[in-house]
Amino acid sequence: MSSLGGAPWYILEFGDELVYFTPYTTTLLILALVFTVLALVSRPERQVEALFGTDAIYAKDTTVDQMRFRRFMAIACGCASMGAVVTGDLFNFTLFVALVGITNVGIVAAVKNRHVQNAAFQYGLVALTATVPLFAGAGIVAATTGTLSIVALASGTVPQAPFFARALLCLGVVGEGMAPFYAAKAEMFRAPGAPYVIMCSLSSLLIFLRVAEVVMVI
Amino acid sequence: MIIRRISDVLSNYENILPLFAGGCAIVFLIGVLLLPLPYYDDQLYPKTIDRNSSLDPYDRGGPPFTQVVIKSQYPENSPTAGYVTTYLTPFSWFLANTTHHLGTTIVAHPGGIIDEILYNTRGLDTVVEPTILFIAFAIASFLFRREP
Repeated sequence: MSSLGGAPWYILEFGDELVYFTPYTTTLLILALVFTVLALVSRPERQVEALFGTDAIYAKDTTVDQMRFRRFMAIACGCASMGAVVTGDLFNFTLFVALVGITNVGIVAAVKNRHVQNAAFQYGLVALTATVPLFAGAGIVAATTGTLSIVALASGTVPQAPFFARALLCLGVVGEGMAPFYAAKAEMFRAPGAPYVIMCSLSSLLIFLRVAEVVMVI
Repeated sequence: MIIRRISDVLSNYENILPLFAGGCAIVFLIGVLLLPLPYYDDQLYPKTIDRNSSLDPYDRGGPPFTQVVIKSQYPENSPTAGYVTTYLTPFSWFLANTTHHLGTTIVAHPGGIIDEILYNTRGLDTVVEPTILFIAFAIASFLFRREP
């Protein structure tokens, strides 16, 4: 198998869905793992806002149940990104990406702040829309090549996936990870609780790095 | 300067959905212009439909407990594929015998039909799919149960 990420060190077999660990995917996996462990053990930040030009200082409080829920979502998000970066099956990859999208919404949706909730709602709508190009891309790859295994697609024994399908896959990942929309994502990051919101950006970065490899290989 | 203006538009979260939808529309339009896409005949998961079977879309054929050939990408990874193509509880068996097209009610009653391809060779998919569903339930229930 010729792959951009190097020869696989280890291939884990789940029936037709191979999970393979190349130097590239393993690096991404370790990154996701480290951040998931950080989200697991760290306590949320206590955000303090100073009102400009006055002496007023607001300390934002994170309640325990909110903290618990967001930590759960951050860990789920980390697990989903770990799955997305190592999986060797295209349909499985799209499913994991969809899971990353919905956990990202969950991380910010728990915050009780009108502004953050509005942003999370818009983000949720984009994540919802993005499933159409995402799964359409995987479907078109299956129809035009006859297989979904990235290993088989990379080996060159089946026809190359059409450009349109790759464009759809990229578009879907853009929508789920909101990768080019960081300017608007900053609005969501006004939510207090640092380790959890960082997970949103990190997971979208990871799935973006992974989809770059996937569309170049298939 | 132009980057600043683009960034200003992007920073308003209400603009994101129209922008993304516009991007989707453009890509799909290009896709329509690129049609027809070639269909590859040698599909990994071929589908033969026996319209007369009461298990209609899910009928994989074969007598029970005798291995049926189920096509898969890596057959050596799923040696037991094809042994249990259909599992029906007595109630499902009754439905299958008395009504037509039990397959359409697969999700509506307990003890449905095991789709070999889905559950045996593509097991990880079936794990991730309900996970998405449960995460969505978790978010919805958290938002619903929270004190206002």
